[in-house]
Amino acid sequence: MTRCLDEGTLQSYFDGELSPHLMGSATAHLAACVTCAAAARELAEETALLTSALTAEFEVSVPTQALRERIDAAVLGERVANAGRSEKAGLFASVSSIFSFNSQRTLGYASLAVVLAFGTIIGIVKYRQSGTINTTDNVAVVPSAPSNSDKVGVTADQPQSVVADSRSAAPVVKAPSRTSTPRVIPVKTNHTVKLLPGERSYLQAIARLDTTIKENKTAMRPSLQVEYERNLAVVDRAIAATRNAAKSNPNDPDAADFMFAAYQSKVDLLNTIADARLSGGRGH
Amino acid sequence: MTMKLFVVSAVAGLIFSLAGSTPAKPVKTDPVPGEKIERSVAVSPQLTVTLCVASGQLTVRGWDKNELRVRSAGAGHIELRRIDKTKDPSVPASRIDVMVLESTAKVTRAVIDCQALADVEMEVPAGATVQVQTRDGDISISGVSAAYAGSQNGNIEIARVVKVVEAGSIGGSITLRDSSGRVILSSAGGIVEVVNVKASNPDDTFEVGTVSGDIQLQHVSNPKVMAKTVNGTVTMTGPLARAGHYTFTNMTGDVILALPHDASFQLNAKVSEKRDIVSDFQLKYFGEMPAPATFPAPPAKPAGTPKPVAKGHPPQKTGPIIAPVPVERPINPYVSRRVTAVCGSGDATISVASFGGTVRLKKL
Repeated sequence: MTRCLDEGTLQSYFDGELSPHLMGSATAHLAACVTCAAAARELAEETALLTSALTAEFEVSVPTQALRERIDAAVLGERVANAGRSEKAGLFASVSSIFSFNSQRTLGYASLAVVLAFGTIIGIVKYRQSGTINTTDNVAVVPSAPSNSDKVGVTADQPQSVVADSRSAAPVVKAPSRTSTPRVIPVKTNHTVKLLPGERSYLQAIARLDTTIKENKTAMRPSLQVEYERNLAVVDRAIAATRNAAKSNPNDPDAADFMFAAYQSKVDLLNTIADARLSGGRGH
Repeated sequence: MTMKLFVVSAVAGLIFSLAGSTPAKPVKTDPVPGEKIERSVAVSPQLTVTLCVASGQLTVRGWDKNELRVRSAGAGHIELRRIDKTKDPSVPASRIDVMVLESTAKVTRAVIDCQALADVEMEVPAGATVQVQTRDGDISISGVSAAYAGSQNGNIEIARVVKVVEAGSIGGSITLRDSSGRVILSSAGGIVEVVNVKASNPDDTFEVGTVSGDIQLQHVSNPKVMAKTVNGTVTMTGPLARAGHYTFTNMTGDVILALPHDASFQLNAKVSEKRDIVSDFQLKYFGEMPAPATFPAPPAKPAGTPKPVAKGHPPQKTGPIIAPVPVERPINPYVSRRVTAVCGSGDATISVASFGGTVRLKKL
């Protein structure tokens, strides 16, 4: 070997990875070549330095290929042994394996959770869109009675539904909608909703104002919302009480007057709220 | 030579000193945040001025100058926009819209009004009509001819207004003092307090309404007073206007009238049968008429008669006791009654309608 040894060959020489023939040639060359001998000496010193620096790392036991093979063999043997046991145990093991998280499974479960969350949200939105009442069309549409009486009869023949208005003492008859399926209270056959004389106009006015307030897309500020809800509850309780009294005493004009005063208070309150929401600018 | 040097030095010094004190052109600087901006203009004594902000304390005072002065802390720009029909700049303005803006950007027609968050103080002629509106801030107006004030959640204080007062709030309280003229006050949840108010014309009415807020009237002598609440308490203290009409309506709160010992009035009351009319005055009753009911009416009782209360030992029962027998009785939850009575010569008329409250007439 007349040519000098390259670095790779020198490294293989020190690592003992050369064939016996090449090992002999390299040894002969190093003995004759001063340059390669110097390079070999330098490489030997670097190797010694690295070995001393990484001694702690090298002392840590690292699973070798043989160890991995032994573990795999042991696991395989355990599986074969468990295969003869009951199916319940196998099912439990498979379920347990589902919940045993490694990095790939964690990623997979996270993706599945995201997909399910999106699906749930979309489903809720669709359900609400189909289940809510179209307020612009249906809120408190009181059908005109055939006579001047304020008695509105709802029978099974009439495709109407009685929707209990939680904020109003009087139930409001709502017209059916083709585009929506409002959640309704089941209507009993021959069920009759009696409006007290003069009550209809107030209910209509309240329904219109309520629609106006709800049509305003801008969210009501929390402080205004709280005040509105609090006072609305007060008025609704008054309406319920006075309406009950007027209903129990149909010949008492004073009881009816109190009921109308309570209704008027609600109209005034809704008017105030509607004005406050609509007047983004100057109200004068 | 020395003289020449002296003259040249003096002239040069004079030139430099004058150049330092006189700017080359007017310098316009942006207001420092927190700095007060002030604008003023000559106006008509009967000025109508409008102001609207989103939030901030609004203070309006009347003064004896025909001048409008507006100051604001926190605003970036104030414009006194003249909106009267007269375009002659030599004629004092009779209508002015005060535009308060946060930025110093040029005011255009498309600029958003009522959005500024700034405290504003105004001095206006004493004969001015003031219209102010805010969303969250408090309002204080004093010493003007007419006041129109609106706030959603702020408190409103008005004093020394002579012709018209209209104020409305949803959650805030309203206080009116030492004023005269036509009055309309409304608050949903706030307290309304009125002290020392009278009419300036014979047909000046006084109206106040709340939902849940209390109404406190003290020395209100308008010839026609109407107070309405749902479940607040109405309290009126002070003398009655001769031939005045007072109407109080509420649902569940009490009506308390504290009147001078020589008060002369006629009382027309519509109350619940279950509630009392408690009077410190010697009332001459014209009659008490329980309203007709579907169920048998309870036996008539004179007003003010206390309800019999079962006390002491229960009556002895006779006969064998077999078993408790439930007796079904018609339950009438509400029965109203009307009471008409007179105190003195009945000069003023007091009408009270209370669905579930008590009416109290107290002597001062």
